[in-house]
Amino acid sequence: MEEKIKPTKIIDARGSFCPGPLMELIKAYKSAKLNDIISVYSTDSGTKRDASAWIKKSNNELIGVFEHEGYYEIVMKKTKG
Amino acid sequence: MSNRILVLGDGAAGTIISNKLRFLIPTEDADITVIGNSKFHYFKPDGIHIPLGMKRYQDSVKKPEFLFNYGINYVKDTISNIDVQNKKVSTKSGKEHTYDYLIIATGDRLVPEDIPNFASEAHHFYSLEGSLELKKKLAGFNGGKIVIGPSSIPYQCPPAPYEFTFQLYRYLNKRGILKDTEIHYIFPPNRVFTIENVAVYIEKLFDEKNIQYHTMFNVESIDSGARKINSLEGEELPYDLLVLVPPHKGQEVITKSGLADEVGYIDVDKHKLTYGNYDNVFVIGDATNLPISKAGATAHFESEYLASKIASEISGFISDDEYDGAVACTTVTGDEKAMTLYFSYN
Repeated sequence: MEEKIKPTKIIDARGSFCPGPLMELIKAYKSAKLNDIISVYSTDSGTKRDASAWIKKSNNELIGVFEHEGYYEIVMKKTKG
Repeated sequence: MSNRILVLGDGAAGTIISNKLRFLIPTEDADITVIGNSKFHYFKPDGIHIPLGMKRYQDSVKKPEFLFNYGINYVKDTISNIDVQNKKVSTKSGKEHTYDYLIIATGDRLVPEDIPNFASEAHHFYSLEGSLELKKKLAGFNGGKIVIGPSSIPYQCPPAPYEFTFQLYRYLNKRGILKDTEIHYIFPPNRVFTIENVAVYIEKLFDEKNIQYHTMFNVESIDSGARKINSLEGEELPYDLLVLVPPHKGQEVITKSGLADEVGYIDVDKHKLTYGNYDNVFVIGDATNLPISKAGATAHFESEYLASKIASEISGFISDDEYDGAVACTTVTGDEKAMTLYFSYN
């Protein structure tokens, strides 16, 4: 992930399977504040599709999907109050 | 010297593990004590049938003490604190129980109050009382929009909402009011079931029956005036009859004892089912934070592994077996058909 983006909250869902990482993201989203940046780590490639779809449907901002060694990182910004 | 095994919880998980342990370990090698406060043991899978008149509720309840095998001490009490550092469990009656092995099987609880207006607007089949109320409500239902589904994840028995939907379809058809009814199924992730290949099959069955489904629908609020539910994702659905799985949380005593956060599910080693660094403290059933179903079937398969491991250890053998998350359960898919699901961590 780019240096300048600093997540407010990081969810490490590595080792969990879909829809686990997505549900962890939703749980964090519920308690997040407007403009908070939430990052979720997942080893399940399905999270890229599931989380991206949810972020778009819920009218929030998908900052990016990044591939690291052995896991994916999906970063979103809470733009809906 | 006799080992002391203490089991917390008298629901499905506590009952299954106690009986399996007693079957494998001679009474002279271990005392088994179970603490629980259930007035009666309710067989929860019957919840999908009782509201539809397919089962008598009287056949689904038993006194907990009748379910434990000979040689198990059943203590009727409420757990007030679990102190794993000092190997001590306190109860409301003021007693303290010590142990060599502790098995936490306290399950989880329904928290409908987490969604405003749930109690006055929504019905469910996740308790005996809820199922009987829903039965009354359905008897007076003569057509309209029914919205069904889990309000959020996790919840007990993931297939139960689709099973109930298929049985409801049959019930409405039999009563001749299916043509006057729209069934809308909601689900929190982006498919109608957690496991993808099962979701594909269930969606096909829904399509055949003209059951409409709305995915990525996490219930945020219920508008009792307009009779519609609103999702976290910004959608709304009107209803005439609302059948929602209430939100779930772990037991309060788990949070109060410092074993989990405010949501109350305990992080455990997924292959050993142990808590933290305590190799004599195990957690099974709905109380865990494991990425598998919260269901009696899960408790059953976890108990197979755990009872065998503890029994081996007590008889002096070293068990290096690990639990792989394997669970099998059979689910109703309507039209007098069923399908068996097999899954594991992998």
